[in-house]
This record gives sequence, C-alpha cells and structure tokens, in this order.
Amino acid sequence: MSEPGVDRPADRGAGAPSPQHDDTDDLAMAEAPRRGAGKRITALVHSRVGVIVLVVAIFFAMWLLGGAQPVATRQLLTLAVWGVMLGGVLALGSIGLTLIYGVLKFPNFSHGALVAIGAYTAFAVMAVLPEGPRLGPFSFGWEFLAALVVAMPVVGLVALAVDRVIYRRLRNQNAALVLFAMASLGMAFFLRSGIYMIWGPDFHFFYQGRPNPALNLPFNVRVQADQLFILALALALVLLVYLLLTRTRMGKAMRATADNPQLAQVRGIDTERVIAWTWVLSGALAAAGGAMYGLTSQLRPEMGFWLLLPMFAGTIMGGIGSPLGALVGAMIIGIVTQMSAAFLNPAYGPAIAFILMIVMLILRPQGLFGKPGG
Amino acid sequence: MPLLNVNSITTGYADMEVLTDVSIAVNEGEIVSIIGPNGAGKSTLMKAVFGLLHPWQGSITLGDRDISRYSPFEIVAQRMCYVPQVANVFTTLSVEENLELGGFTLEKREIDAAKERVYELFPVLKERRRQKAGTMSGGQRQMVAMGSALMLNPVLLLLDEPSAGLSPKLVDMIFERIVTINATGVAVLMVEQNAQESLRMAHRGYVLANGENRFEGAAKSLLEDPEVGRLYLGG
Amino acid sequence: MIQEQWVKAIFVAIPLVLIGLRLIRLHWALRIPAAAACGFAVAVLLVAMLPTGILAYLVSFSIMAGIYAILSLGLNSQWGLTGHLNFGIAGFFAIGAFTSALFTMSMPTGLLANYAKQAFGLEMPFLVGVLAAAIVAGLVAFLIAIPVLKLREDYLAIATLGIAEVIRLAFQNERWLANGPQPLRGIPRPLSCLVEDPACAWLPDSLATWLTPLAQRDYIFPYLVIVAVFVAVIYVALERISRSPWGRALRAVREEEASAAMNGKNVASLRVQSFVVGGVIMGIAGALYGPYVISISYSHFRPLFATFLVWVMLMLGGSGNNRGAILGAFIIWGVWSGTAFLADAITPLLSLISDDFASRSPYLRWMLVAILLELIVLYRPKGLLQEQKVVSLFLPRELPKKVPRTKT
Repeated sequence: MSEPGVDRPADRGAGAPSPQHDDTDDLAMAEAPRRGAGKRITALVHSRVGVIVLVVAIFFAMWLLGGAQPVATRQLLTLAVWGVMLGGVLALGSIGLTLIYGVLKFPNFSHGALVAIGAYTAFAVMAVLPEGPRLGPFSFGWEFLAALVVAMPVVGLVALAVDRVIYRRLRNQNAALVLFAMASLGMAFFLRSGIYMIWGPDFHFFYQGRPNPALNLPFNVRVQADQLFILALALALVLLVYLLLTRTRMGKAMRATADNPQLAQVRGIDTERVIAWTWVLSGALAAAGGAMYGLTSQLRPEMGFWLLLPMFAGTIMGGIGSPLGALVGAMIIGIVTQMSAAFLNPAYGPAIAFILMIVMLILRPQGLFGKPGG
Repeated sequence: MPLLNVNSITTGYADMEVLTDVSIAVNEGEIVSIIGPNGAGKSTLMKAVFGLLHPWQGSITLGDRDISRYSPFEIVAQRMCYVPQVANVFTTLSVEENLELGGFTLEKREIDAAKERVYELFPVLKERRRQKAGTMSGGQRQMVAMGSALMLNPVLLLLDEPSAGLSPKLVDMIFERIVTINATGVAVLMVEQNAQESLRMAHRGYVLANGENRFEGAAKSLLEDPEVGRLYLGG
Repeated sequence: MIQEQWVKAIFVAIPLVLIGLRLIRLHWALRIPAAAACGFAVAVLLVAMLPTGILAYLVSFSIMAGIYAILSLGLNSQWGLTGHLNFGIAGFFAIGAFTSALFTMSMPTGLLANYAKQAFGLEMPFLVGVLAAAIVAGLVAFLIAIPVLKLREDYLAIATLGIAEVIRLAFQNERWLANGPQPLRGIPRPLSCLVEDPACAWLPDSLATWLTPLAQRDYIFPYLVIVAVFVAVIYVALERISRSPWGRALRAVREEEASAAMNGKNVASLRVQSFVVGGVIMGIAGALYGPYVISISYSHFRPLFATFLVWVMLMLGGSGNNRGAILGAFIIWGVWSGTAFLADAITPLLSLISDDFASRSPYLRWMLVAILLELIVLYRPKGLLQEQKVVSLFLPRELPKKVPRTKT
C-alpha cells in the first residue's frame, strides 16, 4: 500500500536532485561514512527505525518500572491483540483528525466529542429500532449495523454544521491558529454538554447485560467476536479512505488542498467544497469509531475527551496529514496502551500514549510518515 | 475588444494599499509583459486579476464577463489559468497527479488528452510522471507548474516570474516554451524581473512602479524608449 | 451599624482600596487618601445595605474570582507575553494546591491514618506552603518546558493538555501521594484564629475583642483580604515585568522570534523563563484554592474548570493585558455563577419538554459558557481590553493607538 501525500524514498530513484527532501533514515544509511559518529547517532535516533526502537525501549522501561514481574506470554499476546482492536477504533478517529489537521491546519480539539456523538447517535437509533436476533457469533443484531449507517452521515453533518457556523467564519477572517484551537476547544465542551443535556450523565450500553463470550484463538488468545468485527470494519473503512484519497477526484483535491491550499484554489479547486467534504468524511469516520467503541465499552459523555489524547497521539506518531501514518500511529498507541496494562495500573493507559507522543514530537516532529516541516 | 481588461483598479492587503488606479489590457493571442522594480505591485496585480484579491475600486473583465468578484476556481472555469511564482506545485503529489489536478474540472477522457498535450510540450515530465513534484529540480518544477496550468487549454495564461531562480540556460528554455504555447493561440500575461528578455518576446509591455502605471506600449518601443531603458532596464 | 458590620466593612474595604489605587488617576499623595476614602465608603455601603447572606455570597464569589484572576494572570504571562499556547493550566493549578496542602497539613494519625493516606504532612505555615507550591509548580513547568517549548504552538497545546491529564491521573491513582481518589480533607486555613474563640495568641487584646463578633463562617472576610493582596502583588509584579527589558524581550520573541534571536536574545531561554513564571503563578493560585475549599481532590482539576474557564476569562478580558485578565476572571466567574441561577430559572421551562431535561439544567451552563467563548473568538478575539503597547517603565502609559497590523 503506497501512501498518498508523502515523499517516498523509493520515488527518488530517478536521480533528480531533491532540494526539499529530508528523509533522515536514508541519510543515516547513505551518508553515514562522511559524517562524524555523533551526527550519525543523532540521525539514527531521529530516523523511523530509531524512533520505533525507542518506543520499544520505553515500553521495556515501563515493564521494569512496573517491578519487572514475570508476565505470561499468553497474557501479553492477548493484550497485544486487544491493542490492535483498540488501535483500529482509534485509527478511525486519528484519520479524521489528520485529514482536518492537514487540510485546515489546526488541531481539532472537538474531535473526541464527535466520536462520542457518534456513539450516542448509534445508541439512539438502536433504541427506536426493534431488537433483532444476534448475528452469528456477534453480540449485536442488524439494528447495530443500521445504527452505524445512520450515525455516520449524521455526525458528518454535525461536523459540517460546526464548520459552517464557526470555522468558516474564522477562515474568512484569516484568523490566527490559536483562535481555531480555542474555538474547537469550546466546541468540545459545547458538544459534550449537548450530550449531557440529551442523554444525561449516566452510563449507557448498547445491549444491557447481554453475554459476549470470548472466542479461543490459536496461541490461547481470547478475543470476542465483536472485537474481530471491529478490527475488520475499521480496516475496511481505512482502505476505503485510502482508495478515496488516491482514486477519486475529491480525494485528490483533498490531498492537494492539504498540500497547498492557495495553489489548490489556483488550480480551479473549490476549496470550500473540499473542506466541507473533509468535515463530512472525518465526522463519519469519528462516528464509526464511536459506535464501534460503544460495542465493547459503556457510553459516557466524557468518553470523547478520554479518546482525544490517544487519537492525537496516533495522529502525531504517524505524521500530520498522512492517513496511513494515522493508521500505523493509532495501532502503536493502541497496542502499547493495552500491553502496558500487564504491568502498570490500567488507568495510566492514556498517559503512556501521551508520553509516546511527546517522545515522537521531540525526536521526529514530522512523525513516522509526515512530510518534513509539515 | 481586449480579452482581459483591468480597468483602473485599486487594491491591496488588509488596509495597506498596493495598487492605485492600475489599468492593463491583454488582447487575444498576445504576450504581454509587466515589468517594474521590486515592490512595484506586479505580483499583487497578478493576484488581483486571478481573484486571490478583490479590487477595492475598478473592475476586471474577461471577455464580456465582469470577474472582479470571482473566486479563483470560478475564474479557472473561464479558462484563465495562473502559475504562481513560488510554491506552484503540490510537492507531495506525483507529476501526473499535479497535472490531473490542473484539469480538475475536466472529464476523464479530456484529462488524458490534455496530459498528452503537456507531455508533448515537456517530454521530461512524461518520463518522471510518477515522481513526487517536491523531489524535482527548480526547472522541472516550473515545467510541472506550467503544464498543470495548460491542462485546461486556457485562453489566457498568467505567469508570475516564470524565470525566477532558474539558470540562464533554463530561462531560455522556459521563454522558448512560452513562445511555443503562445503560438497555439494562448494569450500570455507575465510578470518578469528579467525585463529585457521578456520584452524581447512580448508583443506589448507595461511598466509598473509604486503601484501605478508608468509606461505602456509595444514591447519594441518600450525596449527602445531611453527613459524606460535608463530607469527599468538597467541602462 | 453594629460592630460585626464595621469589622466586616473593614475587611471588605481593603480589596476595594487596592482597586481604587489602580483606578484613581491622581498623584500618589492624593491617590492614597482618595482610594482609602472611596474604598471604605463603598465597603460600608455594601455591608450596610446588603443582607448578610448576599454579602457572604458576594465575598465567596470574589474569593473564587480572585483565585481565577491569578490563574488568568499566570496564563497571560505565558500566552499574552510570549505566545505559549498552554492548555494544561489545570496541571499547574493541581500541583500548587496539592503541594501546599501537603506542606501545611499534618499527617493523619490514629484511626484516620487507615483511611487517609498522604506522602507527608509538614505542618508548615501558610506562606511556606505558598512558596513550596510556587517552587514545585515552577520546577514542573521548567521540566516540561525544556522538551516541549521547542514545539510548534499547536503541538504545545496538545502536549500541555496531555500533561495536565497525566498529572490529574497521577493524583487520582496514587493513593500514597495525596489520598488518591479520595479527597484530601482538612487543609489548614491561614489566620483562621482571627475568627476562632480563643483568638490568635499573638493578637493584641484590643484587636481580639474587636474581632469577637466574627463567627467561624465569617472566615471568608479575612480570606478575601489574603486573596486580594496576592492578586495585587502578582498584578503589580507582572506589570513591572512587562515594562522591563525582560518583558520587552519576551514580546519580541512572541512577535518576531527570528529577529529577536538576531538581536542577541537567547530565545529558547526566554521562552522557558516565561513559561516557568506562568507556572509559578498558577501554582500560587492552587495554594490559595486549597485553604478556601478545605478539601481538594483530583476531580477539582478537570479541564473544564481549571483550563477552559481560564482561557475564556483571558480571551474575554484581553490577551496581553493584565487588567483584562483580572476583569475577565470576574466577568466569566460572574457569568458562570449567574448561569446557575439562570439554569434554575429555566428549569420549569425545560420540564415542559421533559423531566429529564429539567434535571440536567446544570449542564446548560457549560453550553452557555462554550457559546460565550465561540462568540468571543468570532466577534471579539482581542478581548474587551486590548493589549497596551508598553515599551518602558520610563515612558508614559498612554501611547498613541497602535496602528492596526496588516495581518495577524
């Protein structure tokens, strides 16, 4: 899978001079002999490989911190598989974040609230639909799928409406980044209080007290069928986004707008329309993420805020503006968060995700797949 | 009637006035060059023509349409295309994708035909069509930028300093291509630092200074005008 | 007026006199008596006219608004002065509150020790607690600043938001540190002996007798004075800083980082310094918050109350303007408190729609404050009081109106 929106080292084979190219991992290999050892080490640490090695090292340090208890391989493996599932859900949020960040150049602090609204919308739809029989090994019936299909466009439209009311005005005023960030923080609280008003502060479940037995997979890994469904659906949606970005006209226009908004206008792209579709797409993905998260956990109004930091972490790990990066970043965050539960208080999961993000920002601010300086 | 008519416009950024009462015109099939010292407002004029800035006063017409309030994408639909001076390619997209975005409003079939036309003009782009534009050299980027602008088969092409930052050999090559493009019936309005060279290939020229019209006329007569020569052509 | 009211009036007068000193534009020889006279007159009027309950409400309101004013001033020294986008105010506030609590409290003993855990309890005086809060918060700010301030401003916002969450999680989960999920109870109140029956031993008899009418619940009156003095001192200090060469250098960093660097300023170090100053001030706010509410827990330091509201305050008051920071704190805390009444008032209306709605009316307040922020961002992004272009201590305050910048 080749990545849209990113300089790939493989593309440099043609031998052209590359004035803006700064792929440090290549440099670390190719130019190492000409540099001092210190620089070589710095370059290595800042390279993709180096960052991943560091992530593993941090992970190991956490294990030591946790008292280096012997952890059953089986448990670690199960946690890792769960991490992949969590990563899938996070990825849907992270991809939306990265698209908005890329096209509109601001961190959308209300993205978590969109995820929560997605979950609650799905909940509301399921409440009005008759409860059908369970589908195969899954805990849900067709009404969940229907709710998912309804929630995605609904949240997409919510995101679009917010843009029309707030962010478009700010764009027209050429407002500074801080105002966008503030406005989105305000929106996060606005949307969350909307959830409180409509659904109240209590927990909700898609299915109250329905058993959800785990399947036994090879290597003694225990996973619920729902979790496998979540992962499959998340990956399918990510693939769809990828095809949309690389194959369709609107997708290419989105990438172009993210790359250079003014030039996109010059090339005859109606950037306002592109922005509108970006909001709809990222809102819909957020809704899918929220609904899927709701399958495995209870719904709470603050869930959006809890998910926000891991989603940001995934976005930044992967590199802003890179959907493939967001997927990989979210997977790393999901896996590390879950596996850390083997030796740390699980409440610190978000903290671990966050520390990884900070390390990434310091070592390689452009993320694993981002463009340098972007 | 001229193809493009900029009718005594005044405009600028926020509350800073850059252009005062500037008028220019481009006839069909013409190359018109705008020269002038740094800070004369040449690039601002280009942006105003292309709808990136709107005139505070005065009007801009293309054909018989008033485009003063048009957005760039509406102007592109009128087949006037623009090549900015800097940041004029999508660096993270391939050459081919850059061209396709140039023909954003076209049908798939038309895009393929337009691409072939551009590849004919710049064969090197065909060889490198899968390369990311950001990894190309300055001259090749300029070709990608011009090629993208040509995808729509424009009636009028706006070029903002097409020779900026290029080696003399490449400058000649780019100018030569501009003449070739013009020969196919595309009118060209360009802004150039390289005043002598650009007037040599242009039909007519304008001299801007301090955001105002200073001189205008046939390119040849501007080249021969002693005052223009002394002030703006470096002797 | 009875004696109790006179005593209260004196306490209420002190903050008013401080405000008067700032507002009255006269020569100092005249300003001090004028401020004293006005402040005292207003205080007497307030105490005489208002029913006891409302007066107490206003005083408590002012204490919280004053604590928020300190947070807002701290944020202003980061955002207004240097342009740091700190979305993690809650973290520094929490550190200040817990640090000073641990420094001033005693270790739980006996049966209580089974239920309440804390890392230490030093039984230090209040001011030592404030100092410790300032130092620890400043230290944490310093440790955060080194890696994080190199980042772009939007990354900084995300990073600080995350740091505040980590800090909150630590206080929530580490029982040994500050009683974890349970509140830390019984934070000692400074000068509480003023309102206790055997009054402070060091107090002259005449004063002690004079203070006798005050009951325990009137502690808010002396505490208002303490908070007001802190607000005033921090305000004056920040005003002096922003007029000093250091303040000028910080603003230069904010406006044109590259040219500040070319002029020989150590940009990285300046940025760290201003972040630390802000952290210290937020820590002090935390130290003042603890004794007021007596028991604190991690849940007090959620982003809504401790970060979001402060930003709304500073945005409304005017970034870069210290007076605006204080004004914004009072207005927004007023709006926040006022919306509680509003929410009560519309409860019957909401219950027409559904009973559920009526019981959720408190959440309407959040919505209203969020809407207020959006309105500020859209229509008044520079706030009520715009930044004063102060250049030097030696130039007059009122400079010609600044020319609007072409692009912001």
